[in-house]
Amino acid sequence: MSARISFLKNPDPCNHLSGYKLRYGTDGYKSFQSLFSCFNDGRIKIKLREIEIPRCSYCSVYQKRLYICLFCRSISCSSHILLHTQLNKGHDIAIDVERSELYCCACIDQVYDPEFDEIVVSKQLVGLGMSVKSGADVVAVRSNKKRRLDSQLIIGSKFLVSPRDRREKWSFPLGLRGLNNLGSTCFMNAVLQALVHAPPLRNFWLSGQHNRDLCPRRTMGLLCLPCDLDVIFAAMFSGDRTPYSPAHLLHSWWQHSTNLATYEQQDSHEFFISLLDRIHENEGKSKCLYQDHEECQCITHKAFSGLLRSDVTCTTCGSTSTTYDPFIDISLTLDSANGFSPADCRKNRYNGGPSVNATMPTLSGCLDFFTRSEKLGPDQKLNCQSCGEKRESSKQMSIRRLPLLLCLHVKRFEHSLTRKTSRKIDSYLQYPFRLNMSPYLSSSIIGKRFGNRMFAFDGEGEYDSSSSSPPSAEFEIFAVVTHSGMLESGHYVTYLRLKGLWYKCDDSWINEVEEEVVRGCECYMLFYAQEKVIQKAHKELSYQVISMAEAFPFANC
Amino acid sequence: MKHSVNRPPTPDEDDASEGFEKDEVTLREIINVKLVESGEKENLMELVRDRLVECGWKDEMRIACREHVKKKGRKDVTVDELIRVITPKGRASVPDSVKAELLNRIQNFIVSAAL
Repeated sequence: MSARISFLKNPDPCNHLSGYKLRYGTDGYKSFQSLFSCFNDGRIKIKLREIEIPRCSYCSVYQKRLYICLFCRSISCSSHILLHTQLNKGHDIAIDVERSELYCCACIDQVYDPEFDEIVVSKQLVGLGMSVKSGADVVAVRSNKKRRLDSQLIIGSKFLVSPRDRREKWSFPLGLRGLNNLGSTCFMNAVLQALVHAPPLRNFWLSGQHNRDLCPRRTMGLLCLPCDLDVIFAAMFSGDRTPYSPAHLLHSWWQHSTNLATYEQQDSHEFFISLLDRIHENEGKSKCLYQDHEECQCITHKAFSGLLRSDVTCTTCGSTSTTYDPFIDISLTLDSANGFSPADCRKNRYNGGPSVNATMPTLSGCLDFFTRSEKLGPDQKLNCQSCGEKRESSKQMSIRRLPLLLCLHVKRFEHSLTRKTSRKIDSYLQYPFRLNMSPYLSSSIIGKRFGNRMFAFDGEGEYDSSSSSPPSAEFEIFAVVTHSGMLESGHYVTYLRLKGLWYKCDDSWINEVEEEVVRGCECYMLFYAQEKVIQKAHKELSYQVISMAEAFPFANC
Repeated sequence: MKHSVNRPPTPDEDDASEGFEKDEVTLREIINVKLVESGEKENLMELVRDRLVECGWKDEMRIACREHVKKKGRKDVTVDELIRVITPKGRASVPDSVKAELLNRIQNFIVSAAL
């Protein structure tokens, strides 16, 4: 059963509530305003008289859940509320005394009305000495975003949102918001969704480390993509759930990449690389960080930069030359012939899981292919130091250092120079939600070649040499960009994993989806993060909200 | 053997418990009134709420509610039903430390209010 929750609507009022609203509007609610009593922890109760203990008018209990009738103000307990409605025709709507929440006696269930909540909230705000605009205009107030993102400060508590949006805000993770398609810009939207929810990037921008009001480039009138991203992050996490149009970023990106400034569909991966590149340029330059990519501390590199090791071996004498190159993502060849990994087959049989189709490509198969020992052709002879002349050689790639965020790009678009045609490879690629990268690290790859001799491989898998925690090769997936359709006229969609649940981001439309949907999609870009990054993000993005009280934790802020 | 005839009749089980309960209810009510009047009731409520959040009880309940809703389907569940189903679980899983602390506070209150 796919849990598709309507993203943009409040729960519909029942007939009784609609009927009540038609007849009485908000007068009934307003008449209760004087009775709302606010408490420190954000709760709002109804108090008839100061010290009095409310009791059911039928059975005198005070210990049960009590409701006060909107029409006659008589109090009934949950056992007698139905009786009250039956005895008094038309007395359908009541308010929970302890919580100030609406209840429909005829439906025997809680009901919701944003206008009621507005009235309750305005009482609360008045109590706190904050100025309130009348009725529907409680504005979004943004507190100082420049404060560092403290794990204790839950983002929701920094913002007051328009009551109209409150219900959606409570049900969904923070930062989840649709992006409007501005004319074949789904390639951009897809990447933006993944980046907005990448914890290191999210933290960087939300903690104000690139603030558009303080950016020197922008004050000089220069283009600055990180500033445009600052606007986007603020908008995504504002609590407003109406779809957002990232027009500024699109415009700025066009100005940087004029050759791609058309309304045609672009390649999402190309956009991803160029965007990260621009961020590095802007961040690096304005903050005088190292030019050398390997040491660069800009957010692009801190998050995505890893180190590849390339070993070229002379097939004649066996001597190897090793070089290191940084990378911000890995592009994997998808060829049905190479994707299949024997390891997957064996594993599945032991676990009693479904037997893997021997010809179905898997991600591990692609990674195996990437790190295979490749015989270079006779026309690619390289100069061997010890032999003193050009010899045939073999090359092998491995990962020397893993990044915090690992982006795996599946090469589905094949451009053949000889035939001057392009085609899209549609084959399904099986991929895991949890990925262990140890088999692809240099230590494993090189070790396998020499029969597991002891080698010193310091700092492998570490993203921060000063960190005291041991390097980890365990990754968890947090975003998947998929492409469906044909080369020229396809569509990009992103699946995001937030707190264990999957959300489909299709331009303006966001829906919660089941895991199976994501597993079965045609993946194009896979975004993995080191498991400790995910774990830390879980703690930061708490959104446990049940009642209004928690949405407005004014206490001890 | 003593004659059973002269022994007063054994009171009915129902009568006895009713009488006992009546006294208890009155006493409970008095304590409650005192608690509310002095404002201690609010303090205790806040304390219990804090403790139940701290020990993860609230999260457990939320998960239990979610599971129930998932099982029944969103459209078929009412708040009343949730309360009915979850309350026994909730009561059973309150940690003893919380109960002990609350009991202690109430006892202290009664002593200090010289009831």
